Amino acid sequence: MNLLRTEFRKILPYRTFWVILGIYVLLLLLVLYVSRNVTISGQSLGNSLYEFPGLWGRFTYIAYFFNLLLGILVIVLVTDEYSFRTIRQQVIDGRSRAEVVLAKFYVVLGLSVFSTVFLLVLGLFFGLFFSSSKSFSAVLGQIDHLSYFFVQSVGYMALAMFFAFLIRKSGLAIIAFLAWSKIVEPILHLQLDDSIDKYMPMKVFSSLTPTPGQEIIDQLTTPTMALTPAWAVLPALGYIALLLLGAILLVRFKDL
Amino acid sequence: MATVLYLDELSKKYGSLQAVDRLSLQVEAGSIYGLLGPNGSGKTTTLGMVLDVVRPSGGSFLWFGHSISRESKQRVGALLETPNFYPYLTAKRNLEVVADTKQADHKQINKMLDMVGLGTRSHTTFKGFSLGMKQRLALAAAMLNDPEVLVLDEPTNGLDPQGIAEVRDLIMRIAAQGKTIILASHLLDEVEKVCSHVAVLQAGKLKANGPVGNILSAHDQLIISAEELAPVLQLLERLPYIMQFAQEKDYIILTLDQGYSSTDLNRDMFAQGIVLSQLLVRRKSLEAQFLEITQKEA
Repeated sequence: MNLLRTEFRKILPYRTFWVILGIYVLLLLLVLYVSRNVTISGQSLGNSLYEFPGLWGRFTYIAYFFNLLLGILVIVLVTDEYSFRTIRQQVIDGRSRAEVVLAKFYVVLGLSVFSTVFLLVLGLFFGLFFSSSKSFSAVLGQIDHLSYFFVQSVGYMALAMFFAFLIRKSGLAIIAFLAWSKIVEPILHLQLDDSIDKYMPMKVFSSLTPTPGQEIIDQLTTPTMALTPAWAVLPALGYIALLLLGAILLVRFKDL
Repeated sequence: MATVLYLDELSKKYGSLQAVDRLSLQVEAGSIYGLLGPNGSGKTTTLGMVLDVVRPSGGSFLWFGHSISRESKQRVGALLETPNFYPYLTAKRNLEVVADTKQADHKQINKMLDMVGLGTRSHTTFKGFSLGMKQRLALAAAMLNDPEVLVLDEPTNGLDPQGIAEVRDLIMRIAAQGKTIILASHLLDEVEKVCSHVAVLQAGKLKANGPVGNILSAHDQLIISAEELAPVLQLLERLPYIMQFAQEKDYIILTLDQGYSSTDLNRDMFAQGIVLSQLLVRRKSLEAQFLEITQKEA
């Protein structure tokens, strides 16, 4: 916990941190608010978006796209330590290399808690305002989506953290992170058999927040092979452990 | 005397470049040990290895007789190459982060800022500091938990004369507290002014090491002249402690053996009835000595 306290000392007065976090908060708020105007096949989504208990599945699905910003934030925070050379100084001053990585992983956990709680607040706000059913069971019925969303946020940011420790330069690390998550892995998905690619990291992470109404789409077309959120938790946790370990090994065996 | 730092055949290779080549030396407690060498001679790489941020490709080192650990790191304060701080944090907040890392008492922060003369600037952000102030803040950070050993890499690099004087004065004050200081520098005159021991590095190899007096300023040159040079030259032939002498126009340049000074020469001249009209001690330029050392075994 001392590690996290020190990280807070560095982060709290950092303007870049607040700017990126502010953009995240505003964009998510805006998108969740205006998406009721989205029309699908001539029908406005309207307030059905905010109906409990399906709201949690829909909100976490939308919020998933904005984790990208948090991933970039993590890359900035990690690569800063290299460009300021403060990572060197920390090791000189007595931190172990594993602690340097763990400290950043705690930041990832902290940001995931923040984004999950923020989504809980947004869900309660929009739901209690617009939803027609406000019974206790309706509100809490599918709130487990938030826990899947938490695991997904940790996983996504752990991937970003890994790229940051691997590449050390913010611009290149952001490009590599985007290229992997948006281009390279999706291409691999196309090449590989569904039974294999459903276990690939980005696929696993995105399986935690499936497209709302996937069940209906599956009935009309060939069903996707994607894991259900509950089944995706274990491989997701496995990837998180691997990425953390990978980052520690990278820092341990390279010159700083 | 206890050995603070012991290097045994420490080596580092970057690709095909041998940055440090089987370097062995030891630093005793209480000494001010200079690592002297031109840019690119392996000083920073050597310090990086003993400070745990550069992986050695061969050899080993011991701090206080043990391999490096959190405990040994807390007995050593170090600044490597540049002052490394968060540019957007104030001096005080930067030191709070350092104090966390070193598990040092936060009460020390203001004291250290005062010591390096930054007490009134504690709320200025690091990026607003001049180079000299940054360097002094790094010294404050290194001193934060009152370490026994200070490792300083080119502490006066890039400073103006006043900044150099300030930092040097600070180092001397710290040394006066009985701390061991390991100082890397490419400035001969800095090492000569500050250090008690010196190791000369070139292209990663140890060229010479020992007390500064033995390595850097062994043989002084004297310039003498007199009304009549002939008797002087005759006498110089006979004096046993004259290493060499040569006549130039109307004066004579000579070198004395170690342990003899201009006083001895003057006395002997006078005893023979020769009155010198000029007696000048000229230190061999440090640069000349340095070239001598590095070329000797090259």
